[in-house]
Amino acid sequence: MSVLVGVDTGRRSESVLALAAQLANSLQTDLVVAAVVASAWPPSRASVDHEWREHHHAAANLVLDHAASVFGGQVKARYLLHEASSARRGLLELAEQEAPDALVLGSSGQGETGRIALGAVSEALLHASPVPVAIAPVGYRAGLDSRIVRLTAGYGGTEAAEDLVLGAATVAARAGGSLRIASFAVRPEAETGILSGAGGRAEDPVLIEWVEQIRRHASAIIDEVEELDPRPRVDDAVIGVGGSWAAAIDDIGWGEGELLVVGSSSLNPIARVFLGSHGVKIVRNSPVPALVVPRAAAWG
Amino acid sequence: MTSIAQQLLRRKPIPRESGDSPLRRTIGLFPLMAIGISATIGTGIFFIMSQAVPLAGPAVVWSFVIAGIVAGLTALCYAELAGAVPVSGSTYSYAFATLGEGTAMVVGACLLLEYAVSAAAVAVGWSQYVNELIGNLFGWHLPAALSNAPEEGGVVNLPAVILVALCAVLLIRGTRESVLTNAIMVCIKIAVLLFFIAVGVTGWNSDHFADFAPYGIGGIAAGAGVIFFSFVGLDAVSTAGEEAKNPRRNLPLAIIGALLVVITLYIGVAVVGIGAQDPKKFENQEAGLSEILTHVIGSSWPGTVLAAGAVISIFSVTLVTIYGQTRILFAMARDGMVPKVFAKVNERTRTPIQNTIIVSTVVAVLAGVIPINFLAEMTSIGTLAAFLVVSVGLIILRVREPELERGFRVPLYPITPILSILGCIWIITQLRPITIAVFAIWVAVFLVFYFFYGRRRSILEPGNELGDPDVPFTAVVRQPSTHDGVER
Repeated sequence: MSVLVGVDTGRRSESVLALAAQLANSLQTDLVVAAVVASAWPPSRASVDHEWREHHHAAANLVLDHAASVFGGQVKARYLLHEASSARRGLLELAEQEAPDALVLGSSGQGETGRIALGAVSEALLHASPVPVAIAPVGYRAGLDSRIVRLTAGYGGTEAAEDLVLGAATVAARAGGSLRIASFAVRPEAETGILSGAGGRAEDPVLIEWVEQIRRHASAIIDEVEELDPRPRVDDAVIGVGGSWAAAIDDIGWGEGELLVVGSSSLNPIARVFLGSHGVKIVRNSPVPALVVPRAAAWG
Repeated sequence: MTSIAQQLLRRKPIPRESGDSPLRRTIGLFPLMAIGISATIGTGIFFIMSQAVPLAGPAVVWSFVIAGIVAGLTALCYAELAGAVPVSGSTYSYAFATLGEGTAMVVGACLLLEYAVSAAAVAVGWSQYVNELIGNLFGWHLPAALSNAPEEGGVVNLPAVILVALCAVLLIRGTRESVLTNAIMVCIKIAVLLFFIAVGVTGWNSDHFADFAPYGIGGIAAGAGVIFFSFVGLDAVSTAGEEAKNPRRNLPLAIIGALLVVITLYIGVAVVGIGAQDPKKFENQEAGLSEILTHVIGSSWPGTVLAAGAVISIFSVTLVTIYGQTRILFAMARDGMVPKVFAKVNERTRTPIQNTIIVSTVVAVLAGVIPINFLAEMTSIGTLAAFLVVSVGLIILRVREPELERGFRVPLYPITPILSILGCIWIITQLRPITIAVFAIWVAVFLVFYFFYGRRRSILEPGNELGDPDVPFTAVVRQPSTHDGVER
């Protein structure tokens, strides 16, 4: 097993490498660093695009060298240069070929520091990857020998979400970290209730009822987790409430070495990641690296 | 053993401030007024003329004034009651905290009419405008069988049913109308009505006012009864009382201000409408305002513009109304007054799905098979009765709890609540006997249901959640004692 890192050939980024090393340490697996370069199109005998290919290969080698220098002697890794028609397709091919524990990607360069920004490639892979996808926030830093301390599993109230928590528990146990179950709710504005005459806080009782139900189910899941072997330390279930997704997610508090685990949408029965609308919002607002797991992944 | 009288009169203690979400007074005068205007306009004016003019003749203008004044008076009373109880919620919650369980049930029955039935009425009105719009744009109409209630010669009002289903889907998905959408909708509504006035006035004919009040004062009052429907929503200002800045000054000003704006617009529409169209032609007219414009101009585009505006804005009204109904039933289910299924929340969508489906199904059936005039009258009587209870409750509370801290007191007490009570009674008596009979049966059914169901399952019943005598009854409203059985 391994952790596969896709590096951007146009930009050197340490955050994705930091996350990859951290994951590989925690899971005690190999690390594969891959750079995907554009293949010749159309394949031609005249090698008219020889220089074009050379240029790409040089850029990719530069990035791979950079990765090797960041890792120094500290982290063992294999370095791959893969040709494909697009970065997205190349990473998918590698994911099938290497069957890694996780595919690690970086945020897009345009994002706000400390938050996850999905670029075209990561966005596409979030809807197509056969393996879990981990994404590092912009400017993410972690020691090369550090480990994941705690996994926070996002629980959305479905059966698939329950499986996700159990999967995350196994991983947390394997990594020697603890597990916490988190749900998030956005408190709506008061005006809707007032307009409809149902009162400014008409949504509060609904929220309270929801919180009670979630707490009941979360504690049932925690009981199940306690029966696993090996089992991780389990923290209390937490519920983040706020006026926006960002506030709701910040509400539960985050520390160093945390990883947020989100399941793919329950609407998609196929064994691929397909992030639902809530999932996308949670990932975008996560202050820590996020791991998105396909529903049917035999993971952990 | 608790006697029935005690059960009927027991009141829900007011929860202590949890500190979790302290209500902040953030809404100023003009936003408050905007809430009143936006919640009121557009519920009825688009289709109420064809119901009211046949009853009152051109004197329907006075019907608007009467209905508006009564609505304003009751909204003031409502504001005092809302301000006396620091709970957030609908009339039902206020009634439960101040007047007791029995009254709360009656109010709940009325609110089902004010919300579920009015949502159905609005959906039927929407269907008329959709049909008009389709006719103007594509030159054909939906077959009468699919766009009318059985009593009007159809089978089912399909567009109305579809509208309700769409709203249900949106609510289940957790969509809520944002403040911005609401503001846009209000602007569309007001713009459409101003457009109607501006275009319609070109077809002015004073002769239409010749026979001003053909059915006398009784006709005017009957018209007011139907029209009251179009003032439903003014009480929304009162539910904002808790979050209003300086409520003593701003609540009455906002209610009166919103009322003035709304009445002015409505009367403008009524006067122009009658000036442009012979009062005898209003009866049974569908998508009335749009048709009038078509006749005035002799071309279909103004009617199309108006119909399009109506279709967009009435959609949002239906959404908000169904939303309100689901949340009121949610509160009642948590109190044990209706089955718990209404208080189930789906964990993934965080919305009460079963509740929404049941409410929408009922609304869709009502909208599909019952004609609009009956729906409008039922909404009016439900709202009037709820307001009546509020006004009576205000007087009871003043007598029983004179010292109670009130965020807002009605001016000219006791004249205001008494006028409000008399106005409500007067308008109710002018409605068709069948409407009053159906309403009485409905309330009776609800009370019978309470007798066999809610009475024992109430959270206030000893042994239930809040029924423990040791639970401290919190300060603001004193509770009737459950021990000595003395009723005050």
